[in-house]
Amino acid sequence: MSLIEELKELGANTDEALNRFMNNQALYERMLRKLPASVKELNVMKALEEGDTETAFTAAHTIKGVTGNLSLTPLYRAYSDIVAYLRGGEPESAKAVLERILPLQRKMIQCIEKNRPQ
Amino acid sequence: MEKAILIVDDEEINRVILAECFKDKYEIIEANNGLKAVEAIDSSDNIAAVFLDLIMPEMGGMEVLKYLRKSGKMAHIPVFIITAANSQEMLMEAYDLGAVDVISKPFMTNFLKCRVENIIELYRHRNELADIVKEQVQRLNQLNQSMVETLASLIEFRDCESGEHVRRMCDLTDILMTKVSDMFPEYHLERQEIDKIVTSAVLHDVGKIAIPDGILNKPGRLTSEEFEIMKQHTVKGCEILSKVPNILDDDVYNYSYDICRHHHERWDGRGYPDGLKGDEISIWAQVVAVADVYDALTSPRVYKSAFDHETAVKMIYNGECGTFNPKVLEAFGNCMDQIIRRND
Repeated sequence: MSLIEELKELGANTDEALNRFMNNQALYERMLRKLPASVKELNVMKALEEGDTETAFTAAHTIKGVTGNLSLTPLYRAYSDIVAYLRGGEPESAKAVLERILPLQRKMIQCIEKNRPQ
Repeated sequence: MEKAILIVDDEEINRVILAECFKDKYEIIEANNGLKAVEAIDSSDNIAAVFLDLIMPEMGGMEVLKYLRKSGKMAHIPVFIITAANSQEMLMEAYDLGAVDVISKPFMTNFLKCRVENIIELYRHRNELADIVKEQVQRLNQLNQSMVETLASLIEFRDCESGEHVRRMCDLTDILMTKVSDMFPEYHLERQEIDKIVTSAVLHDVGKIAIPDGILNKPGRLTSEEFEIMKQHTVKGCEILSKVPNILDDDVYNYSYDICRHHHERWDGRGYPDGLKGDEISIWAQVVAVADVYDALTSPRVYKSAFDHETAVKMIYNGECGTFNPKVLEAFGNCMDQIIRRND
């Protein structure tokens, strides 16, 4: 199964994304491969555990934008909620959403990482 | 020249999608923070639109907006805010700073393409119109200026003595008005106003067109009847101006009217036509009066030869040619160097 098919199985709205990438599948895949590095760098959980809500907010906001544009829809929805909770001053609720979504996030990242370009 | 779109976002993925969407029709310039965006804006002149993320390291989007606004570039370049935020305050602030529209994440590229192109087209059209209007205004001003000069030169043909008088008068008015404005705060005028006064001074003697040749060009002394007629050139000038008010800008019209009528008034109230006294006479009419007298003294006339600079100045200070505002005379004394340099 191709990377795009696998992500679709995991809930990504890949048709919408391909449309966004002007049906340039190679470009979509290339951008997907950039996601693991940025998500690891933008460690929302770590910031939340350290009580640094500002960093957590900025990071979550960025991930929200990127996952939205890549149509990793479940992640996008979760990060939208996280951003909203952090904006509303509810870091505990944000953390709960994050904990719930992290397994799927890891799965999607693993999927991207194992599908190296031929 | 190919039009460019500047994409400013710290996330490469966002930049790449937007670039992919517009690369066929536009040169794409990318910046990953506000500082680089400002650099790009300052160094290129073909940017047709800016896509701007708000939250970025180094320099955020709001700062870029403020910069664009301050530099006046916002009027010519549409700025689209890229945002995943639904924060109303931030978006309102962006609109307040002049952003034209919002691109929300996730992007809807097809829709976005239409929207962006429509706005670029609108701005292109608007910029073009602004250029045309600017050019037309410039032509109109030139045309007006040349009509004013034509009107003024008519009198030179009639009044054989005038010759270069009008040109010199303007230079003197400029020098003296500037000095008065600098020296005395109560008479201070902005440069722009002084320029209008100088333009208006050209027309000070336009009423002489209505004075019969026999009087205008009489070599000897005028009889008192003739002098009464000669004095009419002030009022006649105003009559002429009031018939052609449209060729002058409103301010120039008002200055010219006042100068035509009052450049023969005297500080002591014994001038004509209205016998105004002291500062009842506008400062520009007072200045033109001194310039007029100085130039008349230093030029040859049918009834006299030219006095040299020193003699002319002495005659003005002695009150042989009328009485003037002591402050204007003080300023006059302070621009001798400039006047002598001008005479050479």
